[in-house]
Amino acid sequence: MLPVVVVHGGAGHIPKERSDLSTSGVCSAVRSAYALLQGGGSSLDAVVEAVLLLENNPSFNAGCGSVLNMKGEVEMDALVMDGKTLSSGAVSAVRNVANPIQLARLVMDKTSHAFLTAEGASQFARSMGVPEVPQESLITEYSRMRWKKKLAPDANPVECQMGKMGTVGAVAVDTDGNVACATSTGGMLNKMEGRVGDTPCIGSGGYADNMSGAVSTTGHGEAIMKVTLARHILFHVEQGQSAEAASDLGLAHMKSRVGGLGGVVTVDPQGNWAARFSSRQMAWAAAQKDTLHYGLYTGEHFTQIIEDHRA
Amino acid sequence: MSAVLVVHGGAWAIPDEMAPASVDGVKAAARHGASVLKSGGSALDAVEAAVRALEDNPIFNAGHGATLNVDGEVELDAIIVDGRTLASGAVSCVTNIANPVSLARAVMEKTSHVMLTGKGANQFAESIGINTFPTDKLVTEYEKKEWEKHKKYIAGVMAHDTVGAVAVDCAGNVACATSTGGIRNKMVGRVGDSPVIGCGGYADNSSGAVSCTGHGESILKVTLARLVLSHVEQEKSVADASQLSLQYMSDRVQGAGGTIVVAPSGQWAATFTTERMAWAAAVDGELWFGINPEERLKEKLSQ
Repeated sequence: MLPVVVVHGGAGHIPKERSDLSTSGVCSAVRSAYALLQGGGSSLDAVVEAVLLLENNPSFNAGCGSVLNMKGEVEMDALVMDGKTLSSGAVSAVRNVANPIQLARLVMDKTSHAFLTAEGASQFARSMGVPEVPQESLITEYSRMRWKKKLAPDANPVECQMGKMGTVGAVAVDTDGNVACATSTGGMLNKMEGRVGDTPCIGSGGYADNMSGAVSTTGHGEAIMKVTLARHILFHVEQGQSAEAASDLGLAHMKSRVGGLGGVVTVDPQGNWAARFSSRQMAWAAAQKDTLHYGLYTGEHFTQIIEDHRA
Repeated sequence: MSAVLVVHGGAWAIPDEMAPASVDGVKAAARHGASVLKSGGSALDAVEAAVRALEDNPIFNAGHGATLNVDGEVELDAIIVDGRTLASGAVSCVTNIANPVSLARAVMEKTSHVMLTGKGANQFAESIGINTFPTDKLVTEYEKKEWEKHKKYIAGVMAHDTVGAVAVDCAGNVACATSTGGIRNKMVGRVGDSPVIGCGGYADNSSGAVSCTGHGESILKVTLARLVLSHVEQEKSVADASQLSLQYMSDRVQGAGGTIVVAPSGQWAATFTTERMAWAAAVDGELWFGINPEERLKEKLSQ
């Protein structure tokens, strides 16, 4: 059953013309992460690798391709968590770095803190020799176009929030039974400067604990925070629910209590996994026992054999 | 249904010379919050009022009296949660404002967001007419000296700590609020547990309200506030839920801290695994308070 890795490329409403990009993006990320796991790599390395690839992929709202805030600027959030020790690293409202998930990992590994924000996070990046990249390198035509559209006086705010590709994330369990999660985002289109969503908040954007499992979330950030969705799902797992049932219970609670929609990827230490969403779509992919699983619309579950290139 | 309010002024090895002022401070804040409840105010109003009183008191590490980061600057975090709707507001690393808890409330009520950080949080404060103070107006002589002494942050050395309040009002609504200046000599931009929902605080009418204090990174690892309430959801008493959670934090991640909890029924608890925690609770016309382990002193609420 082990190892397993599941990734998501955001829950929401993905316009048809971009859905192929989302699907191929998550499949590609999961293949790389799985290869790493099969080679004996840790779940922590695998989730960071998957998210890094998605950050570099301009089709997703993370790293390059991030949505723009109210001022037309890029502010990014990320979280990584190690289920063995409960150590975590997070950054919020960080600018001018290509890979916020890498910076989050540095916070975890190289500081005695768990969360750095804004200018402090940038200072830390510089002190670690993380290259400062021009903001332009993170902005795509698509994200600029959507920002301009949102600012138009007759823009429909709800419609403009649709078509947003949400956050990216990954969960994994390695051959040692250690779980980990990673989540990264450019946040909400046209957000206020300094707005922090669920992504870097431990228990909301993600959580990982070898005793129960790992979760990475996506969707309406404020709603996810109000119910601390990742931690909520793992409480259900602790109470004996399966990864899938726990995920559905968490999403249902969020919908009924605070009217929010979203999606999650969940894995338990035995290798049971789920990719569930209450939004219309969520690009997701999973790899286990040399099989690639993926989907986009509700009810979809495609599979493909992963060729073993190691021989 | 009678209203209950509990406050804390931080869980840490409070030195003897600061103990009396800390106890006086939490008692005064509890009285202030209780009077809000008595005149029909909501749990949300009461926790904000109590935490504002603690922020204004320079003996505590929040607002006035906040501790300094490694650059000698003040960076403040706060959260407030309404248990009725789960509406929440938080600010992290906001600089030089006197009452971060009120700014957090404004995030909750005046924006469609839950959390603002850094410059963006300060800009929002300005946009709604909240004044900023120069650093030296907020910083005490004591903090300046301590910052000079310990130019480097040492993990495990507990400095001043966080303040918080929880309440249940006559309508059975619960709320929590937590505010802090963080850890002395922390890295610039370090965010602890206080403004992170589920960690520094959480409130839900279906179970209760919690405010936490102690080693921030440990509280984050176990999402302490949310953990306490998960035990309450499993039918544990608030006292047992608090003890179990703090014990878990100690066993799993070697962290110490304290929690205050209130349930919609009016059940309450103030629990800590550090040497001391100044706390006070206004319940049924009585004021309970303490600072040392096992201590539970009582006096009349109105004097």
